[in-house]
Amino acid sequence: MAAEIVLLFAWTIVIIALAFLACMFEDLESDTGSQSNPNSQVQLAPQVGYVHRFFNKAISGEPLSWCMYATTSGTIAWVLLKQGVTPLLAIPIGVLTGEALHVIFSTTAHVGRVSGQKRFQQPVYLDVLYGSLLPIAAFGFIGSLCITSIAYIQSNLGTLSGIPQLNHPFPFPLLCFIWGITVGAIGSSTGDIHYGTEREFQDRPFGEGKRVVYHGKITRYADCGIRRQHDIVSFCAKFGGPCTGLTFGSIILFENWRTLVGMMLGGYLPAAIGLSDTAALIGIGIGIAIVVLLLVVNMRLVRWARKTYGPFVGA
Amino acid sequence: MGHHMPPPPPEEVVVVVKKWWPPDETRLGIISAVIAVLIVIFPGLPAVIKAIGVIFALVWGADSVRKTSKYGLGTGVPSIGYFAVIGYGMVGAFTGMAFSRYGHLGPVEAGVLVGVLFMAITGYISGILANTPKLIAMKIPRLERGMMELGAAGTLAVLLECSIIAGTTRWEPVLENGINTGVIAVILILSSLAMFHPYNACLGPDEIRERTLKVSVEISGLICIILGIASLVTLGGMATGIQMIIFGVIVWLVFYVSFVRAAIRESHSVTGTGLIKTIE
Repeated sequence: MAAEIVLLFAWTIVIIALAFLACMFEDLESDTGSQSNPNSQVQLAPQVGYVHRFFNKAISGEPLSWCMYATTSGTIAWVLLKQGVTPLLAIPIGVLTGEALHVIFSTTAHVGRVSGQKRFQQPVYLDVLYGSLLPIAAFGFIGSLCITSIAYIQSNLGTLSGIPQLNHPFPFPLLCFIWGITVGAIGSSTGDIHYGTEREFQDRPFGEGKRVVYHGKITRYADCGIRRQHDIVSFCAKFGGPCTGLTFGSIILFENWRTLVGMMLGGYLPAAIGLSDTAALIGIGIGIAIVVLLLVVNMRLVRWARKTYGPFVGA
Repeated sequence: MGHHMPPPPPEEVVVVVKKWWPPDETRLGIISAVIAVLIVIFPGLPAVIKAIGVIFALVWGADSVRKTSKYGLGTGVPSIGYFAVIGYGMVGAFTGMAFSRYGHLGPVEAGVLVGVLFMAITGYISGILANTPKLIAMKIPRLERGMMELGAAGTLAVLLECSIIAGTTRWEPVLENGINTGVIAVILILSSLAMFHPYNACLGPDEIRERTLKVSVEISGLICIILGIASLVTLGGMATGIQMIIFGVIVWLVFYVSFVRAAIRESHSVTGTGLIKTIE
């Protein structure tokens, strides 16, 4: 096999590994700041009488906020790269700027939401405000670093693997924009479910769903003492976070693998000339096969889980 | 019943002081629109003046998001800001830039206003369509005006920011310096955040308009800093970039400190730490 193809697959695997890490830390970060789906419970708690010690990081849904951190990081990194700074320095500096914005938006969201709930007697706990900012920035930094690196590798994928035609046609900041939205969307759709099912409904009948009497209870007590985000993060880091990372990593793996294999079998690689319909058709065929396989596996898994874990009261 | 009734609390005397800022919704809209339009038709103005136009356009947009979402739009608040900038704003700005070669009169280049007008009309029509009982029937109060304002404000904000990055509102330079470089991505996402984040971050029954609008200006300061850094590459020179960064830092610092102080002062209470309780 040609060295270019091996390099191309190798860099794609680097992207997949980074995607796994990015989405795992994205999910843990959203738990640290209780953004997105968990946020509705945190927002609701004072209204039903539960004053809480949670950080209320309402910077829109995760896709848009992650798009913002990644795009800002990418733009600053791009400016530094244009000045001739090495990527090993430019990307972390860009990500630091993105995280500075992240922390700024977090503080305005928290104090804004708490002061907007004055009549529910929710105080501003300064230790919650200060104590949550650094974990938020730390988790966000690792996630954004991975996303910005993915965008950088992708925009130079051809050059890195020796087939310059395969460089992504989109500019680097725009790739960060797209990847930011994607990682936020996957982190929100997969991660939130684990946050809820793992933490909130552990002692409830399997599949019961969210009954109104439980609203706001998630903000009350932890295994020991009063619950804060840090309890939830350490809990979700065991299963929810890695599971979210696995989802995103698998999506990137299957998507790129089928495209590359299609291009290889269709005779497009390694010369990168004469793109034919065969390459695309093989890629689409493999994609359909993967989707069918996943459907079957998921159906069997759900059936097995419902049978094994007792009566499913949900549906 | 042996309960001792607590004495009634003394009646509070509320003195309402009419402040000059912020003006009411209609006045703020007119003032912002006039200032932003006047700045956008002079593409030769210094970047810092354009930045003032951006601040007004985004405050107008944020106020409009607030007004439209106030009836109880919860998770839709970010969507509406995103829609205003990445939907309306981008299409309107590109339309305006396509027409920017027409209507020149000395330093005035009025062609871009076609885009603003086009988006205002499109916004108004989409508001009517969304509210008409026979069509989508969302029945959101004042949606028509809100959509019109969002279209115009989003277009003006994107036009002014592209003008800062490229030094002009002509299509070719903007395409080369703003879009092909990817800087348009940061313009779009940060402008949408400047529109929806204020109301989204301050949402609640005790939200105060004056406090909410400060967040929009604060984010505009951040936009100025980022655009200043990006213009170091797109414009080539250092002068504009450094002016924008200094201007942005000042605007951000003033309004960020002012907002956080106001929010903490106007919250129920501030404590270093404390245990939770259940309100009876």
